[in-house]
Amino acid sequence: MNEELDSQLSAMFDDELPPAECELLARRLSRDEALKARWGRYAVIGAVLRAERGVRLNAALAGRVNVAISAEPALGATAVPARASAPRVRWWQPLAGGALAASVAAGAILFMRAQAPSAGAPLAAQSLPSAVVTPVVNVTSGPLRNTSYVTPPLPAARPMLVPSTQLANYVVAHSMVSSPVARHNLLSAFITSEPAAEAGQAADHVARAAP
Amino acid sequence: MSADASDLSLVRRVQRGDKGAFDALVLKYQHKLVKLVMRYVRNPAEAEDIAQEAFIKAYRALPQFRGDSAFYTWLYRIAINTAKNAVVSRDRSPIDYDLDRSSDESYELQGRMKDSETPEGLVLTDEIRSTVNAAIDALPEDLRTAIVLRELEGLSYEEIAAAMDCPVGTVRSRIFRAREAIDRRLREVFEGGLGRAEELG
Repeated sequence: MNEELDSQLSAMFDDELPPAECELLARRLSRDEALKARWGRYAVIGAVLRAERGVRLNAALAGRVNVAISAEPALGATAVPARASAPRVRWWQPLAGGALAASVAAGAILFMRAQAPSAGAPLAAQSLPSAVVTPVVNVTSGPLRNTSYVTPPLPAARPMLVPSTQLANYVVAHSMVSSPVARHNLLSAFITSEPAAEAGQAADHVARAAP
Repeated sequence: MSADASDLSLVRRVQRGDKGAFDALVLKYQHKLVKLVMRYVRNPAEAEDIAQEAFIKAYRALPQFRGDSAFYTWLYRIAINTAKNAVVSRDRSPIDYDLDRSSDESYELQGRMKDSETPEGLVLTDEIRSTVNAAIDALPEDLRTAIVLRELEGLSYEEIAAAMDCPVGTVRSRIFRAREAIDRRLREVFEGGLGRAEELG
C-alpha cells in the first residue's frame, strides 16, 4: 500500500485533507475494497479510544446496510426530480435571466432607433458644431476674398428635429407658390410621413433653403 | 481547510449514483450512530437495527441533502428521529412479560441475551478493544498524544499543532503513523477473528 495514499486517507478521515484531494481519494475509496477496509479500521480505532461501551466493534452493520442499499435504486436517477422541487437556483435560471436582460436591451435599442431620425443623419448632426461657418472662395473676383454664410444652429438635444409647427408653417408657405395638386400632395406627404423621416428631410430642406 | 469536505465529497459521489461511497460513510459513522441510538434503546442489537434503518433512510433522503449542515449533523437528526419512533412503536406494542423493563439492568440483560446469540462476536469485540488499547500503550509518546488529542478530544490538526508545539504537517504524520501502528495489529485480529465469526454466524 502506498504510504502517501494512506497518509491522505488518515487526513481525510479526520476531515483535514484539502477538498480537491478529497474528491480524488473519495473516488478511489468508493472502489478500492482494501482502502475501504482500512478506513473502517480507522473508525474502530476511534471507537475504542472513545471507549464507546456497548458498541459491538465487529458488528456486521456496515455489511447489512450495504446489502440493503444494493437493493435500492442508484441515486443518480432519482436525484434530479428531487432537486427539481428544491427551492434553489436552477442551472438554466442565470441563462434565462441573461436572455431576458438582452431582450429588454434590444427592445430599448429598437425603441430608441424608432424615436431617432434616420441612420446617418443624427451622427452627422451630432458631429456638427452648433454653428458652422463654411468658407466660400469666390474665384471670379479679382483678389481672393473669403465670404461665408452661417448655417442656423441646431438644437442640442434633438439636433435634426425642427418643431412641427415651424415645419408646418414652412411647408404651407412653400406650397403657396406650387400648384394646388402639388400643394395637396406635399401636405398629405407631410402629414402621413414617418416622424423620423419627416424630421430629417425637413431639416435638410431647411438647411438647404437657408440663405 | 473546509469543514466536512471529506464527507461532502463522499456524499456527492453517492448523489451521483456511486453506492460504494456510501459504504465509506457507514463505516465511518456506524459506531457513533449506534452509540447515539443506545441513549434511547440501550440494547446493542436493537440499536444496530435502528442505526441500520437510519442509514437506509439517510441514503433515500440524500438527494435532498444540500450540504447546508455537516453530513453527520444531518445523519444524527435522522437517527434521533428513527430511535424516537422506534421507542414509541415499541411502547405501543404488547408488553413482553418475559422481561421486566422497569430497570436499566433488565435492558442490559435483554441486550446481552440477544448478544448471546453470537458469543464469538462478544469475544471479538473484547479482543479488538484489548488489541487497540495494547497498541496505543506501545506507541511512542508523541504519536500517542497526537492520536488521543484527535480521537478522544476531537481537536483539529491546527489545535493539536498548537498544543504539541509542532507544525501541522508533523501532526498529520504522527496521527497517520499512530494509526498505521495500531492498524497493523488490528488487521491480524480482523483477518483472523472476523473470518471465524462469519463462518460461525
